[in-house]
Amino acid sequence: MLKILKNILITKRQSDFFDKTFRFFQKKYPSGEDAWGLHLKNARKNMEIVYPIYKNYFKVRLFGKENVKDRPYVVISNHTGQIAIDGMLIATAFATEIKPPRILRAMVERFFTKLPFLNTWAAEGGAVLGDRQNCLNLLKRGESVLVFPEGVKGVAKSTSDYYQLQNFTRGFFRIALQTKTPILPIAVIGAEETFPWVYQAKSLAKMLKLPALPLSLNYFPLPSPIDIHIGQEFSLPEEVSEDATDEVIDQYINQIKNQISQMTQKGLKKRRPFFANTNQEKQ
Amino acid sequence: MAKYQANKILIIGMAGGLAQLTAKRIIKGNPLCKIIGIDNRPLNTKLPSTRVHFIKLRYTRGDFERLFREHSFDTIIHLGRISHANLESSNSLSRRLDLNLIGTKRILDLAEKFDIKKIIFLSTYHVYGALSDNPVFITEDYPLRASIKYPELRDVVELDQMTCSWMWKNQTSREMVILRPCSIIGPTIQNAMSRYLRGNWLPVCMDFNPMFQFIHEADMAKVIQFSLENIPLGVYNVAPEDVISIKEARKHLKLNSIPLPSLAMEQSLKAAKFFWKEIPEYLIDYIKHSCIIDASELKALLPKGFYQYNVRNSLEHLKN
Repeated sequence: MLKILKNILITKRQSDFFDKTFRFFQKKYPSGEDAWGLHLKNARKNMEIVYPIYKNYFKVRLFGKENVKDRPYVVISNHTGQIAIDGMLIATAFATEIKPPRILRAMVERFFTKLPFLNTWAAEGGAVLGDRQNCLNLLKRGESVLVFPEGVKGVAKSTSDYYQLQNFTRGFFRIALQTKTPILPIAVIGAEETFPWVYQAKSLAKMLKLPALPLSLNYFPLPSPIDIHIGQEFSLPEEVSEDATDEVIDQYINQIKNQISQMTQKGLKKRRPFFANTNQEKQ
Repeated sequence: MAKYQANKILIIGMAGGLAQLTAKRIIKGNPLCKIIGIDNRPLNTKLPSTRVHFIKLRYTRGDFERLFREHSFDTIIHLGRISHANLESSNSLSRRLDLNLIGTKRILDLAEKFDIKKIIFLSTYHVYGALSDNPVFITEDYPLRASIKYPELRDVVELDQMTCSWMWKNQTSREMVILRPCSIIGPTIQNAMSRYLRGNWLPVCMDFNPMFQFIHEADMAKVIQFSLENIPLGVYNVAPEDVISIKEARKHLKLNSIPLPSLAMEQSLKAAKFFWKEIPEYLIDYIKHSCIIDASELKALLPKGFYQYNVRNSLEHLKN
């Protein structure tokens, strides 16, 4: 079934491209697996399904490729789109459009690792539990990690809050300082409109002990065109220690937040028309 | 650090495959050393040397102390933890808890009384538990969370904690090395994981695919011998570098598996207990979530290229 779908969705040229990319990954992960559950064979199978969605359904455009150098990064992004589709698209962009290609290790919420099938599917593609130790171990091994410092609050927003950055957690910055890994900021535009009209039933979610409970007019993502903007790397301050006080850390986090906020505003101006683009005037 | 020279070693759990491999290695490497091996199970194989003697004995019995009086042991290798793989009833579970805990307490008391210089205690990575929020590369100082769900693992954690506190209490007078190895597999090993990897038509979780570290029994015996001679007091995780997912491991062994949703696993195991004796209930968590340990502390003390078998070689030997 998947093979038939693959033959419909993937052209010969794309298949050759995947061959080349995954040969490259095979050199990096010779056993085809790693301790976090990455599984190259299955990652490729998944990529063959996800890539046509990335290219033809969300028509993703990637800006700022030139800002990515061949080194590990703590990649941080705004978190949008109710079902964290942005993580999958950013990871696809880094595997297919960045040279040399890389498998971004997206940090996922704790509850995600308990979800049957989804947890294996994500881990086989490179996602890992968002744990400090995991993050440190991956960076030490030369991997790049993808962090959404807004957490669940970033995705679980009502329409009125779209493109408004929520509070950033500080962990990613302390880890970047500890491992001396530069931060690469990203702004994703268009993912909010995959679910354009949402009301977050926060009290009900709390009662049901759910991380979020979105009430939406659609529960299947709409084909909103998505742009991924990669900003210039944020160089780490040499004088600041990983154990600096929250006040000191917050100054830098605000700088990064502002950088993403500005990238978002510029991105909103540049984005393609879509019938559900209701937040054009918002930041 | 000066190499430790053992003169007379007591090996507890001598009927097990790992104990015999270890004894063989020690005897070969130390021409002066003598070994007394004890076990409550009969010994079914030939002893590796005339310098190794076997006594069928339960270490909770009174005769056990007499053994210490008659032989001037300077070293104990405790590989005799009774496995939870062979449980038949809840009664045997409580008996085993007593035997493991009270028995080991007795060994430690006697070690103090008879001035034992070095003790190697074989614990297991199971002490950390297989939980969905485990970080990858669990270090030795990580909390031991194994017994949260399964009483079968309670004694494993308590044993580890008991030996740890004993080790720190006696650190000035006695050396103890606690080893927490990943799954030990090999032709002579009969633990739950080895059986699971030998068994055809066993269930796998269709919705989870945890990663595993495996150490070959011969490499483990080598680690025990090396720890005896060269490793200073402390707790060490033991695992080679490479990993493999459980589904890949079974595929590599060309075993047929029955994919079941994890939610149905527990009930299916209870219903089919007669056919799936290989899988104790607690193992479900380990074939659902990863428990990957960080063995860098020990690796730093081992010579380069210490391990002879990679994960696929180890699995090959299981096939035979």
